[in-house]
Amino acid sequence: MGETAIPIRQRLWGPEARLAYILLAPALTVLLAFMFYPIAYVFAIALSKTNRISQLKGFVGLKNFLQLFSDQEFWEVTVRSLYWTAIAVAVKALFGLVIASLLNVKYAGRRIARMLFIIPWASAVPISSILWRWVFHPQYGLLNATLKATGLWAHPPTWLGHPLSAFISCIWVDIWIGIPFMALVFLAGMQAISEDLYESANLDGVNALQKFFYITLPGIRHLVLIATLLSCLWTFNDFNTIFVLTRGGPAGSTDILITRIYRNAFEFQKFSPASAMAVVTFLILTILSVVYARIYFRQEKS
Amino acid sequence: MKWRNRSKPLAIILTILLLLFLLFPFFVMLSTMLKTQKEVYTSPPSWIPKMPQFANLIRIWTEFEFGVYFKSSLIIALGTMVLNTLLTVPAAYAVARLRFVGRGLILYLFLVIQMFSPVIVVISLFKTMAALKILNTYFSLILANSVFTIAFTIWMMNGYFRSIPMEIEEAALIDGCSRVQTITRIMLPIAVPGMVTTMIYSFIAAWNEFLFGLTFIQSQEKMPLVLGLYNFVGRWTTQWELLNAAAFVALIPVLVLFYIIERRLVAGLAGGAVKA
Repeated sequence: MGETAIPIRQRLWGPEARLAYILLAPALTVLLAFMFYPIAYVFAIALSKTNRISQLKGFVGLKNFLQLFSDQEFWEVTVRSLYWTAIAVAVKALFGLVIASLLNVKYAGRRIARMLFIIPWASAVPISSILWRWVFHPQYGLLNATLKATGLWAHPPTWLGHPLSAFISCIWVDIWIGIPFMALVFLAGMQAISEDLYESANLDGVNALQKFFYITLPGIRHLVLIATLLSCLWTFNDFNTIFVLTRGGPAGSTDILITRIYRNAFEFQKFSPASAMAVVTFLILTILSVVYARIYFRQEKS
Repeated sequence: MKWRNRSKPLAIILTILLLLFLLFPFFVMLSTMLKTQKEVYTSPPSWIPKMPQFANLIRIWTEFEFGVYFKSSLIIALGTMVLNTLLTVPAAYAVARLRFVGRGLILYLFLVIQMFSPVIVVISLFKTMAALKILNTYFSLILANSVFTIAFTIWMMNGYFRSIPMEIEEAALIDGCSRVQTITRIMLPIAVPGMVTTMIYSFIAAWNEFLFGLTFIQSQEKMPLVLGLYNFVGRWTTQWELLNAAAFVALIPVLVLFYIIERRLVAGLAGGAVKA
């Protein structure tokens, strides 16, 4: 179906084009009204003064941004968001590779193993986070009880009670949620690699580790890239885990940009700073999304 | 060859160990929901309930507003599913099959906005919902959920329409069917499996949604399940045995639905290199 075979006038206002516009109209209208307009409005709030009920009280230009950039806390939260994402995605990818390799071994019951590995992804994030809160419970939680009983750790911390352990807890839950997707994508990639490559490697006496690094990893590198990008977006955006586990606490020590934006707006009614932060975050996310989309399309074509 | 024979038991052992580790919170859930309240609040806690009982699975419906939340979630998820489908199917058909200016751009746009974060928008979407006087209604959540799922569902549905051979549709057009008849009588029936995938996807997304509920809903009787459970934590003394039982009941339907679409979902997200 050659796009260029049809004259431009037909593509602009021919019967097919007109039908396309009619069919697209409802979806685009809704997106315009409830996604693009609100985004534009966030930009407007970011460029204005607002009162406690977020009414615009005059244009102030980039003042909110300048204030934001001179705010020490903003940089703390931004830097935390970056290493939060980097660490979490790296660990997810590592677990994903291990699990995908395990699921790629043919044995009876691997379908069941696959189904069980998926559960953390299938479960609603807020519900999983509630379950983890109970796991982490200092007095009645089974994590600390098990650590003590088995002698693995005689004095485990009050997980969600201190800045460092709370951060580790939050990032672990985020990682835990993200592992299955990585594993499934990598597994799909591994299963698409031709058996012949491994067979000839076996004949040459190549060991398993070499096979992994010289056949498997290059074979799935494209998928590693796309899954990593997607995971970066999700991880950077993970509001639910942190909000349910700690609400950004103790003392803001687990806040990342996305949770701080929400708390600034809806807990502290600081709408203009929140919106300025939202604009910055939006720009970061858009860049990542565009990179993802480009790689996705390039792969579709090849 | 030797390595293969040895690697199988090793893989199985490692798999079991990893599963024990990763499913830890679900084992805790199963253990807790079978305990009595008294046993839950015993320190140190034990893994195996002394007197396993299923009373908590009944108590969540009688002593806790689980039924109310469940109903809200069902209405919101079904509503999202319907609205999402009505918006998705025509749009997806247009980008998959019709030739018009800007088609490539629109597809690209859908792929990019699929990643937009609700948190960015929620500040002003709250105002929009207030202006429309639909705060604290199911409809506000149905609308918001639909908006934030259509980019991805159009994208998935577009892929499905494209996988249907052109010849089928061309034959119908030659036989004198109009374009609209071709869509409703030929394409839609063939596209049912694809539609089921996107419907399940939007249902699950709405069922699991937390942020919009947290922001738009104030009254208990309209709260979706996820929000109801969240609010239940930290109410005086949290009744964890009920919360775990409720989490279990909330998890099961979604898990079943998720298994149906899981492969297509991965393929849709990761692109052409993954086959559904």
